Amino acid sequence: MVSEEIWALIQIFLFPGFFFLFFLAFFTEWVDRKIVAKFQNRYGPLHVGPKGVLQPIADFIKLLSKEDITPRMADKVPFNLMPVLLLSLAITPLFCIPIVGSNALVSFEGDLIVIMFIMSLIAVLVFIGGWASTNRFSTIGSIRAGLQLFAYEIPMNLAMIGPAIAAGSLSISKIVDWQIHGFWNLFIQPVGFAVLTISLMAHLQRVPFDIPEAESEIVSGWIVEFSGKKLALIRLAKDFEFVLASALIVSLFLGGPYGPWYISPIIYLAKFFICVFILSNLRAAFARYRIDHLLAGAWKYLTPLALLQIFLIKVLGV
Amino acid sequence: MTFEIPFGPQHPALEEPINFMFEIEEERVVNVKPRLGYVHRGIEKIAENRNYQQLVYLSERICGICSFAHALCYSQVVEELLDLKIPERAKFIRTIVAEMERIQNHYLWLGLTAKEMGFETLFMYAWRDRETIIEMLDMISGKRVNYGMSTIGGVRRDIPEPMIKRMEESLNHLEARAEYYTKVCTKDPSILKRTVGIGILRPREARALCAVGPTARASGIPRDVRADEPYAAYGEIPFKVVTYRGCDVASRMYVRIDEIKESIKIIRYALKNMPEGPIRVKAPMRVPEGEAISRVEAPRGENLHFLKSNGTDKPERWKIRAPTLANLLSLCRMLMGVNLADIPVVIAGIDPCIACAERIALIDAKTKKLKVWEGKDLWRYANEWYRKRYGL
Repeated sequence: MVSEEIWALIQIFLFPGFFFLFFLAFFTEWVDRKIVAKFQNRYGPLHVGPKGVLQPIADFIKLLSKEDITPRMADKVPFNLMPVLLLSLAITPLFCIPIVGSNALVSFEGDLIVIMFIMSLIAVLVFIGGWASTNRFSTIGSIRAGLQLFAYEIPMNLAMIGPAIAAGSLSISKIVDWQIHGFWNLFIQPVGFAVLTISLMAHLQRVPFDIPEAESEIVSGWIVEFSGKKLALIRLAKDFEFVLASALIVSLFLGGPYGPWYISPIIYLAKFFICVFILSNLRAAFARYRIDHLLAGAWKYLTPLALLQIFLIKVLGV
Repeated sequence: MTFEIPFGPQHPALEEPINFMFEIEEERVVNVKPRLGYVHRGIEKIAENRNYQQLVYLSERICGICSFAHALCYSQVVEELLDLKIPERAKFIRTIVAEMERIQNHYLWLGLTAKEMGFETLFMYAWRDRETIIEMLDMISGKRVNYGMSTIGGVRRDIPEPMIKRMEESLNHLEARAEYYTKVCTKDPSILKRTVGIGILRPREARALCAVGPTARASGIPRDVRADEPYAAYGEIPFKVVTYRGCDVASRMYVRIDEIKESIKIIRYALKNMPEGPIRVKAPMRVPEGEAISRVEAPRGENLHFLKSNGTDKPERWKIRAPTLANLLSLCRMLMGVNLADIPVVIAGIDPCIACAERIALIDAKTKKLKVWEGKDLWRYANEWYRKRYGL
C-alpha cells in the first residue's frame, strides 16, 4: 500500500511528471532552435553546456533575475495573473497524454474534450494578457490573436475529433490503445494529420502564423509589455505548448508509445522528435502570412478539408 | 475607430531613425505623416571648414552602404570645376567598384525585406551571400565599408591581374545565387502573397512625385543616370536598364535581383576591357571659382551633389541630395490604404537611408529668401519653441 503511494509520487513528480516535462520542454526548445539554425545556415545556441544544450535554461534563469515591470496604465490583476495561468494551463493537459505504456497519469472518458477546451482557454488568455497591457502594439497583437483563434480553432478541433470517431472513444489513452491494436491514424486519416499540423502551427503562433507577435510589424505584439519573471513564465509556457502540440500529434496520429515500460518512452520520444522536426522545418520554410490571408485560407481550405476527413471516416468506416 | 500608431524613430522594424505617424482604421492606413530630423549631422556645414581633399573622406561617411556613390559623385563635381581629365583605367575601376557596391546593397536590401516579411531563412541566406561581395571589396580596397577608393583625379588603388582571377570565381558564385533568388522570389507562395499588389505606385504618380532609382524603374519608368547621362566608363559598356511594370513591392524586388545580374555582367565586361595606364592624375589644392553639379546612380537612386567654390581650398557651399529624400513623397503615396501588416514591407521597398537624407535649409515662405542659421540661432529658436509650447 505504502509502496504504491511512493510509486504514484515518483510518477507525478519525477517521471513522467513535472521533472521530466520541464526537462523535455527546455530540451525541445533547444532542438527547435538548433534545427531552425541549421536550415538558416547558422549555428544556433553554442556556448552554455555541450553544444549549447543548457541555453534555454540559462535564458530562463536570466529572465527570472531581470527587473519585473508592471506598466502604470495596465490592468494590474489580469496582467499579473496571466503568465501564471498561462503556464499552469499549458502544463495541465500534458498529464492526459500517455508517455509510458498506453495509460496516461490522468485518464478519463472525455479528456480529449478537456484538452480542446484548455487550448481555447490559452488563446483567450493571450487575448486578455495583451488587452490588459494597454499598449497600442499589444492591443493590436491581442486583437490579432483573437481573430487567429476564429481561423484555426474549428479545423483543429475537427481534426482532433477524427481519431476519436475512428477509435470510438473520447479518451486519449483509449485512442492510443486502439492504434496499437490496429493501424496508425496517420495512414487512415492523412488529411486530418495535415490539417492538425497546420492549425497547431497557428495555435503555437509560429512562423508563418506568428501574426499576433509579428516582430517586424508590431514589435512583439501581445508580449511587448511583459518583462522579467512574467516573460520567463510566458516563454516557458510557450515551450510547454510546443511540447503539447507535438505530444498530441504523436498520441492521436502516430500511435503513441507501445511495448514494455522500459522501451515505450524511447519509442515515444523518437516519434515526438519527428514531430518537433516537422514543426521546426515548417517554421524555417515560409514568410509570415497576413491575418486576412490566414482567415481566408482557414475557412476556404482547412475547415472543408477537416469536414471531408470526418465524412470519409463516417461513410467509408475507416 | 481611427487610432494613431507611431512608427519610429526607434522601432525594431525600422532600422532608420525616422518617425511616421500612421492613422489606422481597422488595420488600414488612412493617413501618414513622416517626420525627419533625428539624425541631422550638419555635414554640409562641416564641409565649409575643410579642404577639398579632406572632403573626399567626409563624403564617404554620408552613407554607410552607398559610400562609394557619394565619394564618386563628390570627386566628379570637383573634377568638373578643376576641368580635370582622369585616366581611362581609373574610370573603369570606378565603374567596377560602383557596381560591386550596387550588388552589395541589393543583397542587403533583399535580406532586410525578407526579414520585414517574417521570412528569416531568406534573410540569413541573402546576408551570407553578401559576405562574398564584401570580401571582394575588402580584397580590392582593404576595407569592408567606406572603401576609400575614389579620390579627386582618379582612384587610390589599382586592381592587379591575380585579383581579377579571384573576382571571376566570386562573380560566378554570385550569379548562381542571383538565379536562385529569382526562382525563390517568383515561385514561393508566401513571398508572393506579401509582395504582389502591395504598395502600388502608378507610373504617372512616380513621374509626378519624382521617384528615382529602383523605385521608379519598378513603376516602368526607365530612369537611370548611368544610361541617361553616362559618367565614369558607363558610356563604353553595354548594359540594359531593368524595368518592371508591376508598380508593387514584388516588382521592386525583381528589379533589384535583375540589377544584380546586370551589374555582374558590367563588372565582367569592365574587367576584360580595362585599359592599361595610370590610375590617377595629380589635382591642385585650390579650386577656381565656379559652380558645378554631378549626378551618380547610387544603388538606391540618383545622387545629386552641387558645389560652389570661391577660389580658395575650401568650398563655399556643398549641397547633397540623397535618393531617399527624393523617394519620401512616393513612399507616403504608397503607404496610403496599405494594411498595417504591410507597412514595414512597403517602407523597406524604397530602401530608405534616412541619415543620407537629413539636410536642413530654411526658406522664408513670404519673401522666398534663404536664411542661413548658425548654431546660436537654432538654439534660441528651440528654446523659444519649447517655452511657447509648454508655457515654461
